[in-house]
Amino acid sequence: MVSILGVGLGVAALLVVQTVMNGFGEEHRLRIRESFGDCVVVARTPIEHPQDLLKALRADAAVASATPFSEGPALARQGDFSNVAYVRGIDPTDTGHPARKYVFAGGFDELDDGRVILGFGLARALRVQVGDKIEVWSPAMAERAEKGKAPLPAVFEVCALVRTGFTEVDDRAAFIPLRRFNQLWSMGDRVHGLTLRLKEPAQAYDVAARLNVGRPTLQFVPWQEIKKNFLEAIRFEKTMLFFLMFIITLVASFSIGSTLFSAVIRRSREVGVLVALGARRLQLVALFGLQGLLIGALGTSLGFLLTWLILAFREQILGSINSLFGNGDMVANVYQFSKVPLHYDASDFVVAAGFTLLVTTIAGLVPALWAAGRKPSEAMRDA
Amino acid sequence: MPEAEIVLSAQGLQKSFASPAGPLVVLRSVDLVVHASESVSIRGSSGSGKTTLLQLLGGLDTADAGEANFLLPGRGLVPARKNLGKGVGFVFQNYQLMPELNALENVLLAAQVAGRPAAAAEAQALLESVGLGGRLRHLPAQLSGGECQRVAIARALINRPSVLLADEPTGNLDEATGAEVMRLLLEVVAQRGTALVLVTHSREFAARTDRQWVLSNGVLSPA
Repeated sequence: MVSILGVGLGVAALLVVQTVMNGFGEEHRLRIRESFGDCVVVARTPIEHPQDLLKALRADAAVASATPFSEGPALARQGDFSNVAYVRGIDPTDTGHPARKYVFAGGFDELDDGRVILGFGLARALRVQVGDKIEVWSPAMAERAEKGKAPLPAVFEVCALVRTGFTEVDDRAAFIPLRRFNQLWSMGDRVHGLTLRLKEPAQAYDVAARLNVGRPTLQFVPWQEIKKNFLEAIRFEKTMLFFLMFIITLVASFSIGSTLFSAVIRRSREVGVLVALGARRLQLVALFGLQGLLIGALGTSLGFLLTWLILAFREQILGSINSLFGNGDMVANVYQFSKVPLHYDASDFVVAAGFTLLVTTIAGLVPALWAAGRKPSEAMRDA
Repeated sequence: MPEAEIVLSAQGLQKSFASPAGPLVVLRSVDLVVHASESVSIRGSSGSGKTTLLQLLGGLDTADAGEANFLLPGRGLVPARKNLGKGVGFVFQNYQLMPELNALENVLLAAQVAGRPAAAAEAQALLESVGLGGRLRHLPAQLSGGECQRVAIARALINRPSVLLADEPTGNLDEATGAEVMRLLLEVVAQRGTALVLVTHSREFAARTDRQWVLSNGVLSPA
């Protein structure tokens, strides 16, 4: 019973960690796609007359939508508070714009030439809320000042605040209409790039490679490359956690092995009797190997059940831990997730089950081989 | 009248154990022949090597020299060590029953190990023949010492051995129960035509067998 519980806890620990890490990875991947698009089109110089390119891309079977954008740093100021804002010119009528999903104050549809949507961190730095006004100086204004013209800042009313969970977006982003951006940056009708949403985001690499062909001045960047280091870090973190959990499971398996070994030694008299009755080595090995396999199977089943229970009540468990240690809601505060993300991956379950069954079967077999090799007269004397 | 078939034979069995004072010789060239349906007793003082001899005869231990063979129907005399459990049945002093199994399961276990899984009716009949028809589902812990030994006798006979090796089968029992178990043992082997090798301290029980031997200083001689 203790062995089964040990296996179950090991399996549950492994799967809970893997499933939550998968969830974090999936959530981050989704946010990267929603924040930057499935594929970004950039160029060495601003894209002239983007309408033709947009038309061609929108006609592509793999592309769900294509929207132009321009972006650049600016100085944002409110009273005595100022900060660098990374201003992005977008299409306010884009009903599929991902920023809509992350609006937590005000409304995306309020965006017009006199209004701005700010990242949560930037708004906090400027001490503004929805309805307040900020001034924006673009680099183009500085150029004008160098030419002796006194530039006036562009004034925007904050119409919405967004919180995506990405610090660089939340602490820097300011969204204004593309047309207004182009005025402030003296861009004419040129744009810095295009954001593509794909029908199959997972195929972004292939689609980008295909679209790159014959367009030497453009670069199609799939979402996996946009935050490559970040995604690699998540993947590495998952691998390391799997390794650590693997060691924990291995330790649990050794304890099972030692429990089974003790059980076999304790029952050495019975093994002797079985041999005296004519049990063959293979029968004994099968008996104890099956015992290990059974412990592994029951433990794995228990582990699956515990995994499901822990993950189903993860919010309550995390809440209890947070209140016990006086922590805030880290999932919401640090990761900006409304709850601990999950992603069940069947391969994790198959690997955990296969590994556990293998180790517990071996743990049962080794002492059985030892016991079966003894003389029955010796084994029965151990009574 | 032709001589009965040999079911057990030992020639030149020698066995010694290591001790701080050097090798302790327990058996010095023991020869023994047991015929079908014959009962033989081996007496001797404690530590004389009776149990060791029985284990060598049944293949539970390996002799330093000599060999023990028993009759395996259809194959003749075969080496004991390589044919454990096939032609001999064991009854031990301390019963050696599986504590988690009930009386019927303990008897059936021997049949299953021998590759005869469908022997439930025979096991039940054997237990009934030793007076345990009403105790089939009882665990060893729920049985008296005498009842446990009767389960052990039934288990030893389930695979119809040519010879039954009994090591002090009454050693853990009181006088009355011991006498009853011995009576039963002799009766059952006689009924089934099974040869019996009985290791005992008791002159009285030994006297009930067809031939009596004494083991002393590692030498087996007629009583």
